[in-house]
Amino acid sequence: MAIERWEPKILAFCCNWCSYAGADVAGVERRQMPPSFRIIRVMCSGSVDPCWVLEAFLEGADGVLITGCHPGECHYLNTNYHTARRYRLLRIFIEELGLEPDRLRLEWISATEGIKFAEVIRDMTEKIRALGPSRLGPER
Amino acid sequence: MGKCYLAWAKDPEIRQKGGSGGFVTATLLAALKEGLVERVLIVRRIDEFEGVPLLTDDPEEVKSCSSAHLAAPLNLSSYIPPGERVAVTVKPCDARAIIERSKRRQIDLEDIYMVGLNCGGTFMPVRTMEAVSDLFGLDPGDVLGFEVSKGKFLVEARSGTYTLPMVELERMGYGRRDPCRYCNINIPVMADLACGDAGVPPGMRATFVEILTDKGDELFEAGIKTSMIEFEEAGEEEIETRVRTDRRMSEDADMWWDELSSMIDEVDHLSYYINELGRCIHCGSCKIVCPVCACKDDAKCLDMGREGYRISLYNLIRLFHLMDSCIGCGQCEDVCPADIPLTMIHQRFERRMEKELGYRPGFEMSKPPLQEPEPGGKV
Repeated sequence: MAIERWEPKILAFCCNWCSYAGADVAGVERRQMPPSFRIIRVMCSGSVDPCWVLEAFLEGADGVLITGCHPGECHYLNTNYHTARRYRLLRIFIEELGLEPDRLRLEWISATEGIKFAEVIRDMTEKIRALGPSRLGPER
Repeated sequence: MGKCYLAWAKDPEIRQKGGSGGFVTATLLAALKEGLVERVLIVRRIDEFEGVPLLTDDPEEVKSCSSAHLAAPLNLSSYIPPGERVAVTVKPCDARAIIERSKRRQIDLEDIYMVGLNCGGTFMPVRTMEAVSDLFGLDPGDVLGFEVSKGKFLVEARSGTYTLPMVELERMGYGRRDPCRYCNINIPVMADLACGDAGVPPGMRATFVEILTDKGDELFEAGIKTSMIEFEEAGEEEIETRVRTDRRMSEDADMWWDELSSMIDEVDHLSYYINELGRCIHCGSCKIVCPVCACKDDAKCLDMGREGYRISLYNLIRLFHLMDSCIGCGQCEDVCPADIPLTMIHQRFERRMEKELGYRPGFEMSKPPLQEPEPGGKV
């Protein structure tokens, strides 16, 4: 019987106006990426409720990635600046909770940066592989 | 620092009955008489171990409520009537709750006159009754009064006076509520007036008053105008004493914080939180009493994932929401039927936020960090 190997699971919230397209570009350009992530398309990185991030961890995500437009390029004025603030507080929050803060990541990725998207996924997958499974997920 | 006075009630009866010179009672009466406020919100003494909020415009009732009540772990901010001008006696946590609530448009700060009272901590009524019967063998019904003075717990009963150092009392698990032990804010600097006995020369029946805002000035002026109060300016020595007392109490609180919260650092954080919060029965009491929760009956947090998670989503949502607004008043811990040290847990997160962002909830009207964008969107 084959031993089931643990692979990191990353939930990515991608902004409709930039990084969701960026992820598309990464695929079209055939960039190599591990199949470790699942994307949820959101209308803005600022619409990501911190509770969703916490729920993702509770549901068994080993990492959560939020991607949005570069500063100054938000489709909705400055909402990505709000994302940045929530991200900052969430990092402090999960660190105090006892989870490694590196499990949460925020990246600014534009619609043309397929190469950056692939790089972020590769890098994050490696880091989370090193950290091991999240201890907040459901009992296995 | 605002202007500092030693003040007392002109009426000898109020001066004698009041905790320290009856200044607060006299000021409240003056504010009512001058029409500054429509009603006052104070704590009514049922007996030594029970105090309830009282909203009144009757001077006689105000007079009957004078002198401090230590066994009343209330947060008065929840009892402020909307759209009415009121004066309210506030401990630092009441004042901070009022400010946080006004940021969330629950209260109009313009209408509120905050008469601040220095606070060294409140007592749980039942625990204090147990203390007097366990330690001194007294029937709680025979207790005429109790107070904390110069680090000593003093009980006055029909059969005499009993005393014990506070340190000893608290080491035995009696004494102040836990959140009060590690609360390091004793002087309500965010209120309109700060009144207390720290800095008053021994033997003098007076209150040390610091005027902190224009509204505080109005209150003090009302007292003078109606000739309800008498005062003299506080000397340098008295101000110095008050600062020293405050510093000593804060240091004492920080020591308690280190001691009580280091339990979490000794074990692994996640296991600690999973263990403690795992006892939650999701009754929602902590949310209902929380003075800074603005959702109240409309809150959806209680309906979110309760079962099957290592920590329920309700707990995580409350922890995150309160991260930038928890004032450490201890109401949640008081009502928790599962005895979860909720205030300490909330404060762990809040103090961490405070350290990183330099923002303290309940001090001034600046917006809570969660409602503000990150300047420049820096990650």
